[in-house]
Amino acid sequence: MAQLLFYLLSAAAIAFGFGVVASKSPMKSVLSLLATFVALAMIYLLSGFQFLAAAQLLVYAGAILVLFLFVIMLLNMSDLETLAEHPTVSLGHTRVAIATVSAGVLGLIAILGAGAVQASESAAMPPDGYDKIEWIAALLFSRYMVPFQASAILLLATMIGVLVLAKRRRPVQTTELGRVDA
Amino acid sequence: MTVPDEHLLILAAILFATGVAGFLLRRNAIIVLASIELMLNAANLSFVAGCRMHSTSAAVNLDGAIFTIFVILVAAAEAAVGLALVIALYRLKQTVHLDALNELEG
Repeated sequence: MAQLLFYLLSAAAIAFGFGVVASKSPMKSVLSLLATFVALAMIYLLSGFQFLAAAQLLVYAGAILVLFLFVIMLLNMSDLETLAEHPTVSLGHTRVAIATVSAGVLGLIAILGAGAVQASESAAMPPDGYDKIEWIAALLFSRYMVPFQASAILLLATMIGVLVLAKRRRPVQTTELGRVDA
Repeated sequence: MTVPDEHLLILAAILFATGVAGFLLRRNAIIVLASIELMLNAANLSFVAGCRMHSTSAAVNLDGAIFTIFVILVAAAEAAVGLALVIALYRLKQTVHLDALNELEG
């Protein structure tokens, strides 16, 4: 039963993953990305990672996807005129060849590598999942303390960087005294 | 009766290859960013598979799960910066079409 559900969810994740790449408008692409994330969260849940499933839904589906949708709506890119004006896929032959070959080779190597993996005597899943929050917290505050602190600094730097990037720059005002930066 | 680890890895490989194809083929900056998110998710999935492979029911090795959390964090930061760049780009060029950016080609 769980295995059947896993294969169904995998098929959904792959189909929606193709939808991300293949759909014409960015809105449809981002909505398929949302469906992919939800399918992956369900797969985490089936694999015994409850906390990761929750984090996936909260951070990806709840925060990142909203950011994507917000930008799409802000820039009003579902406009059909701009879609017609700029081809969304530029099908230069070299580009298609390079993309197909690199994606194909990467996928093939990864699939062959995965096939060569010896499954570890199919150890039984712990009854209440792998990632108990107590264990994660204990690891985060002991062995992974430095990366944990560094990620806080990363988030702060990101916040400031995004503010600087997205701030509307005021035009430079000139007065009779000369150039005055606004 | 549980999810096989190799099939998790194969699913991650397929998703990653899809993301690479989207990254190389699409010219809309938003869809390129979405493809990057897809690739990061594939990487997360293989971390989860690795975490399962290195755990037994007696001793759980959680390094993979911790790494997944850090990847999710970095992905959030990356999406925020990338979308801010898209907004700045749109203000400058009135488009998010990546082929419209060729100033550096010389």
